[in-house]
Amino acid sequence: MATDVNVKQLSVDMCERLLRDLEKARRPVFQATKCALDNCFYNPKVGYLTPGDKKVATELNVSSVQKMSRAIFMIELILRNLDVGATNTKRELYYISKGEIKHNPALRPLDFDDQDESDAIVDFICEMMECYREDLNCFANDRGGQTYSQQLMVMETMPDGTKATIDLSKLGTAPFQPKNRPQSLKLKAKKKIDFCLIVESEGTANTLVNSGFTKRHPVILLGAQGVPSNAVRGWTKLIQDELDVPCYFFGDLDAYTMQNIFRTLKAGSAASLIRNADFSAPEVKFLGVLPEDIKKYDLPDYAVRENDAVESRALKKARDALQNDPFFKDKKNKGVSDILRWLLQHKRRCEQQAFFSVNPRDPLMPEKIIIEKIKNKNFV
Amino acid sequence: MAKTQSITSASSAEYFSKNLQQVGFSSYTKAALTTLKEAVDNSLDACEEAGLLPEISVTIEKIGEGTAKNSDSIKIRIEDNGPGLEVEDIVKVFGEYLASSKFGRGRCSRGQQGIGISAVTTWAQLTSARGASVITKTEKMRKACQCVVEVDIKHNKGVLKSKEVIDWDRDHGLTCEFIIDARIQLQGEGGLLAYLSGTTLVNPHLTLRYKILEQDWVEVARVTDTIPEIPEATDPHPHTMKLGEFIAHSHLFGRVTIGAWLKKGFSRISDGVLTDLKKAGLKQSLLDTSVDTITEENFKNVFSALQKVNLMAPSTKSVLSIGETAMAKSIQRIGQVDFFAVVSRKPTICDFKPVLVEVAIARLIDRDMPEDGAVTLLRFANRVPLQFDKSACAMTKAAESVNWRSYGLNQPKDSLPLGPYIVAVSVVSPFIKFKNASKETVDASDELVEEIRRTLIQAGQRLSKHIRRESKEADLEKKRQHIEMFAPILVDGACRITRSPKNRRERALEGLAKLLGRDAALAEKELKVAIEHAEEAVMKMEQMTGILPEPPVVEEKPKKKGKG
Repeated sequence: MATDVNVKQLSVDMCERLLRDLEKARRPVFQATKCALDNCFYNPKVGYLTPGDKKVATELNVSSVQKMSRAIFMIELILRNLDVGATNTKRELYYISKGEIKHNPALRPLDFDDQDESDAIVDFICEMMECYREDLNCFANDRGGQTYSQQLMVMETMPDGTKATIDLSKLGTAPFQPKNRPQSLKLKAKKKIDFCLIVESEGTANTLVNSGFTKRHPVILLGAQGVPSNAVRGWTKLIQDELDVPCYFFGDLDAYTMQNIFRTLKAGSAASLIRNADFSAPEVKFLGVLPEDIKKYDLPDYAVRENDAVESRALKKARDALQNDPFFKDKKNKGVSDILRWLLQHKRRCEQQAFFSVNPRDPLMPEKIIIEKIKNKNFV
Repeated sequence: MAKTQSITSASSAEYFSKNLQQVGFSSYTKAALTTLKEAVDNSLDACEEAGLLPEISVTIEKIGEGTAKNSDSIKIRIEDNGPGLEVEDIVKVFGEYLASSKFGRGRCSRGQQGIGISAVTTWAQLTSARGASVITKTEKMRKACQCVVEVDIKHNKGVLKSKEVIDWDRDHGLTCEFIIDARIQLQGEGGLLAYLSGTTLVNPHLTLRYKILEQDWVEVARVTDTIPEIPEATDPHPHTMKLGEFIAHSHLFGRVTIGAWLKKGFSRISDGVLTDLKKAGLKQSLLDTSVDTITEENFKNVFSALQKVNLMAPSTKSVLSIGETAMAKSIQRIGQVDFFAVVSRKPTICDFKPVLVEVAIARLIDRDMPEDGAVTLLRFANRVPLQFDKSACAMTKAAESVNWRSYGLNQPKDSLPLGPYIVAVSVVSPFIKFKNASKETVDASDELVEEIRRTLIQAGQRLSKHIRRESKEADLEKKRQHIEMFAPILVDGACRITRSPKNRRERALEGLAKLLGRDAALAEKELKVAIEHAEEAVMKMEQMTGILPEPPVVEEKPKKKGKG
């Protein structure tokens, strides 16, 4: 279950430490966990990427005093939001800062030239407090994770403490959109749920729902919409932990999907090391497209275009990942790294929609294949 | 059946008259520049050969419309105080291609092949139907000789016309005048002024007077009375020759043994080398054979054996240097500089040829150059400015390869650095590898580029002392401002968040002031060191050149004298 970060307390603690040091003319130093691949370990027991001992230190000196002053100023704005339960995007925070500075000439030295500068300060605060921007009530547009189910009930606690219950079977054709901050949600199954299927393509997820997948089977079906957002990652983790149902990921067979989408969903990322515990679902299995599916179902596949910058970069990254990424290096994930090796060796790729070619006149064919694969334990 | 065509041979004059674009006459603007350049270079070479301090006067006037479309009729007149030419030499110099006193001698003169001024005469002849008008007087002549020289294109011979003896109020010298179709471009990298200022920069001993079009006379006085001594050519080095040259070289020595010829006719061949040759399989009997009797096959054997043995690199004695002192003085003639750095490397061997690279970098006080534009790169080969085809040149490639950022200059990736600086690079060698006959670009061989790069790095290091001082000053100023501006904002914000009382705010502000003050004190110390280094560099330069560049303006600080 995702844990809450007490930003208010962390802010007070940080400023207390700062003032205490200053009173003694001692140089304040703020340390944060280094979120990078070189400080990244895979713990097979927990199943996600965990941080090592490396820290990045920010010391208050004449060069960093501007950055620190801006951070304290931004924390005040954020605390004000948290107090009243207001939320903002990063761009809105940029304009709120501009407005504050406009009305208080003493703050003019803090003025931001563009949004990149204020975004950097929000990121810096997150680093120091080891939290996500959502903890600061600074939200990005909710993306991905549109969920369909006839059995799932969601109980939401609002910022003002009131509660709401959402029965997904009562939403008609509309999906449930999980928020970027899933800590306020509780789940319940009306009846036994067989599994949760996460489909890489939002469009394909919709097609499966429209053809009656969720009516025929007691499942949860959600669309990831590419690289999983915090919402998708936290939501999948919630489903896995609260409902204890098997989760399957259904996506393309290519290097990008394996490294950037599936690995992030299953074990988190190096950039979010400190929060992977809440934003990864280690039990998720890779249902396909598997390399053997190409032959078994006679799927149309393509050669990787090595002169295409994006595809050749993905291959290069895959080579690096096999050597350096602790997730792919761990023997627990041998099945996934074998797929990556196969991709590097054969330089072929196959899309999830290729299952629609198996029997083009049967719109239920992909559904049948998915059910068959799960039944036969044909996943990694 | 097609009729068999007869094969005819053409004179070199015929070839060049049809291909004048290859020797600097590819456009009307380049025609004016090439004419000026060839005449001035010849005057400088002649003065140096005769041990005279050059005084050159240039007048360029527009006398009407040119005979060709979009061109003007331009009169270019160059007058020098050189030794003058004998009448029989005038026809050869101005009217005959490949007639040169310098061809293949292996000396660091500006002219090499004897093409340039004959091409100018041809251009004048083709565009205005009149060749070169020359006045000459040598020390031996009682009166001066005035004549017109034209090129007999069919036979590559000079033709003397309207020769007359006149009075001339000087002991010796030469004046040449050309009327040509051309267009005048004064400004820009390919402009006449860039050529003239570049020439004065690398010829500190030159006094130049010029009047171009309607502008007033300009006089640039010499800054040194030392005439550069052009070192004598050294004997050829076997590793720099080809087989044909090797055989031809033997014809100069008549009846001598191979062994004696090798020792006498080449540099870096000693008895030790002959022993090595024998060890490499060359028979003693062959070394004892006379050069005028051996077969081509045996020449080949000797040549191949020589290529295989290790020889000392060629001598660097034949290379001429402008020198750091002269360059430092000369760079002041471009304008008032606020700081500069000069580096003259020791002669070295690149691609088996002796080369000397010198660099001068300066920042002008009255600069009309943009702060964020690329530096002005001036290139010189054997003290002649190169003004075209910059990108392919060894000097440009070397300048682009240096990491100028470490010396405090801004630099986009793989490009020239930015800023209002003049970077002058001079390459001097008896054998400069030009990419074309009009000598616009020096071939970028790896060894030469590396040598130029090293010189630029040394100059960059010297320059960085001045730049570091400026950046430290700016850094200290920024730090002082930061303390004033941000300290109260930071402390007030932290106090509001923690709901701290007023007295805590005061204590924290005091502590912060101490902390940041320490940083500022450190910056002050660093600035002091940087000022010392920069002043030391200025003193050193002053000791060397007797010139003190305008010190940078430091606001609100009394000027310090001497060190510290």
